[in-house]
Amino acid sequence: MASLDAGGIVTSGGVRFLGQRRSYWRLLIRGAALLMVTLGIYRFWLVTDVRRFLWSNTEIAGEPLEYTGTALELLIGFLVAIALLIPIYAGFFLAALDLGLLGKLSGLLAFAALGVLGQYAIYRARRYRLTRTIYRGLRFHQSGSAWSYAIRATLWWVATIVTLGLAYPFQMASLERYKMRNTFYGDLAGRFEASGFALLLRGLPMWLLFFAPLALAIRGFVGIDWQALIDAIAQGGDDVMSKIEGGNPGLGSAIVFAMLMGGTSIVLGALLYPAFQALILRWWSSGLRFGGLEVRSRLRTRDVYGAYARFVGYASLFSIAMGIIGTIVLFMAGAVVGAALDTAEQITATLLLLVAYVITALGFSTIYRATVQLSLWQLGVESLELSGLSELEKVKAAGRPSSALGEGLADALNVGGY
Amino acid sequence: MSSGAGIYFDGVTSARREVVVELAPAGLKISSRDGKSLAEWPYNEIEELDARDNVLRLGRLGSTTLERLEIRDPAFAAEVDEHAAYVDRTGSLRQRQRLRVIVWTVVATASLLLVAWFGVPAIAARLTPLLPISVERKLGDAVDVQVRGMLDTGKHDTAFECGTAPAEIPGRNALNKVMQRLEVAAALPIPLRTSVVRRDEANAIALPGGRVYVFRGLIDKAENADEIAGVIAHEIGHVAHRDGTRAILEGAGLSFLFGMLLGDFVGGGAVVFAAKSVLQSSYTREAETAADSYGTDLMNKADADARALANMLEKIGGATEPGMTILMDHPETKARVAAIRRNAASRPSSPLLEPSEWAALKKICSGL
Repeated sequence: MASLDAGGIVTSGGVRFLGQRRSYWRLLIRGAALLMVTLGIYRFWLVTDVRRFLWSNTEIAGEPLEYTGTALELLIGFLVAIALLIPIYAGFFLAALDLGLLGKLSGLLAFAALGVLGQYAIYRARRYRLTRTIYRGLRFHQSGSAWSYAIRATLWWVATIVTLGLAYPFQMASLERYKMRNTFYGDLAGRFEASGFALLLRGLPMWLLFFAPLALAIRGFVGIDWQALIDAIAQGGDDVMSKIEGGNPGLGSAIVFAMLMGGTSIVLGALLYPAFQALILRWWSSGLRFGGLEVRSRLRTRDVYGAYARFVGYASLFSIAMGIIGTIVLFMAGAVVGAALDTAEQITATLLLLVAYVITALGFSTIYRATVQLSLWQLGVESLELSGLSELEKVKAAGRPSSALGEGLADALNVGGY
Repeated sequence: MSSGAGIYFDGVTSARREVVVELAPAGLKISSRDGKSLAEWPYNEIEELDARDNVLRLGRLGSTTLERLEIRDPAFAAEVDEHAAYVDRTGSLRQRQRLRVIVWTVVATASLLLVAWFGVPAIAARLTPLLPISVERKLGDAVDVQVRGMLDTGKHDTAFECGTAPAEIPGRNALNKVMQRLEVAAALPIPLRTSVVRRDEANAIALPGGRVYVFRGLIDKAENADEIAGVIAHEIGHVAHRDGTRAILEGAGLSFLFGMLLGDFVGGGAVVFAAKSVLQSSYTREAETAADSYGTDLMNKADADARALANMLEKIGGATEPGMTILMDHPETKARVAAIRRNAASRPSSPLLEPSEWAALKKICSGL
């Protein structure tokens, strides 16, 4: 905790989170209801409320952060982004109609172009959030070129995919170095000092646990005599499995083995994901520097598992409740309508299904935000240990607020953060 | 004149100053503990900023720096609230603004839905006739690639299209003879390209640009050439009315409208898809009735038996297009069948095919 001496100078200390879980739930549930009736247009206000809540309840060395962004800025940023994207989408639509090479490549081109644009948006959105973050009467800001970042990030993603994720630690380290050396609190420059190699060493066991069964599964699937299988299924009949086994001894067990290994990989991946997230968060936080200010994270992996356990608990309760309500509605609808549906009734039924889908999706997303997202924020900041806080006493103001175009692009392209 | 404690940041440096705040007649007087005056804020230039509960954070309206004053004593914060014009601790002002936002977004949503329901179809319907035939053919070729990709599962050894193998050629010729008669009667500005494909459903589809696919299942179900010709005449109706092109324009408009605005909060993709299918099948129903009446007229004009279309409709439950069964139900099919029978010519028709040709057409998908 922050300790103040007589002159008000912070010598050592940490970060506190003071937000009440209950008020966050209230904010999210009201937001979800409004998202539904406004077909999502309310999201700009909800995002702003969420950020205000998280920022204003986070206290560094006794002083809370302040978020000065507004929903109106986000809305305008989104509209500008739409205006820029419409011609691009129209261009791709026309290209897709071309029957030659251009038409065949248009899908790939669109994917690549929108991928780069997404990274550009991520960097610009980060700039918006930083310049709307105020601490002790000074703003954060970000220099650097978003295009330069977008090209780096895209090349790194290609490397990561080609190496099946082994390049990911180096990608993270390189991109974070770029972001942080362009990040400033007032005139105090940031930098990033965590090493990609250290992350690789710590993450390697998880990588092996996920990819070893997957590799076995893929080898198993490649080894299967597909033609024999297709023939057996094409013949049809009651007992396809025994026919497969009769024609090709060992084929059945090969399929079972491959499926088992694939399943193992998926289950292990899901079970390891919280540990992976904790590892990344701890490694990343411990690499942050602002001048002489150093950060260390003592985040415990089991706390992250706790957050996910809460999510699973609430999500199960919610699923059961939705199941019960759904059954009652179906029963009542069936009693009223009877067997034969006419067109109007079928449209009503489709709309009901649609509403049920939206409620379910919003419910899960709300539960996720209120459990995992909030916990990760709280655990992430409360596990920090700051040293060299005296650095914060003599910072001078610098930087100007940026536009919200990046946020708008990120929203329209579905790449977002907090 | 009362005063209280506060924390002041001057917006130029990060220095944290514990200050004494005085409620002077004209504004807040901020001075350091040792009595040095730091700032004076007139009451009508003070704004309240976002902060956690129990902290009143103030800024100065129109200031170029981010000057901040924080007051943590609730009683003193209430006193400041009473003096400063734009400070509103109860939050009623903010609530009223928020309510306005909510009301207007709901209105915007309603207007969006109305545009989707009435506007997009109307725009698509106006736009479709303006599209040159050459563009429509290009569109049709692009769609054809997609449709064939979806229909052709590749599970057969023979070609997907029937009528290419030597034993199938007579069937193909019989189909050509039927098409010849229908095309002359229809007199469309574009040539039709009809083929039978190896799909087991009893359906047919028309693509923009005059391509018509008849599924093998329909040939199997038909008892005479007029029944097949009737369904093809119905599909020619879709081509003549340019229904496929209109559906593509509508689909593009809707997915753009909703996809862009819904954002990713709940993974809007599925909603877009469902919304599209609900909206589009409601256009299709009107288009189907129009295609029925076109098909009936065409059969009459070609001197064929238009009642055969009604018979075929009854046999396949009204589902002339693939996947239509879900939204097509008995009362409507009955109404369609009755309308066709009402409009069918009562004079005797001349047969479309010789018995031997009809037998060949039935075997158009026999393979080798």
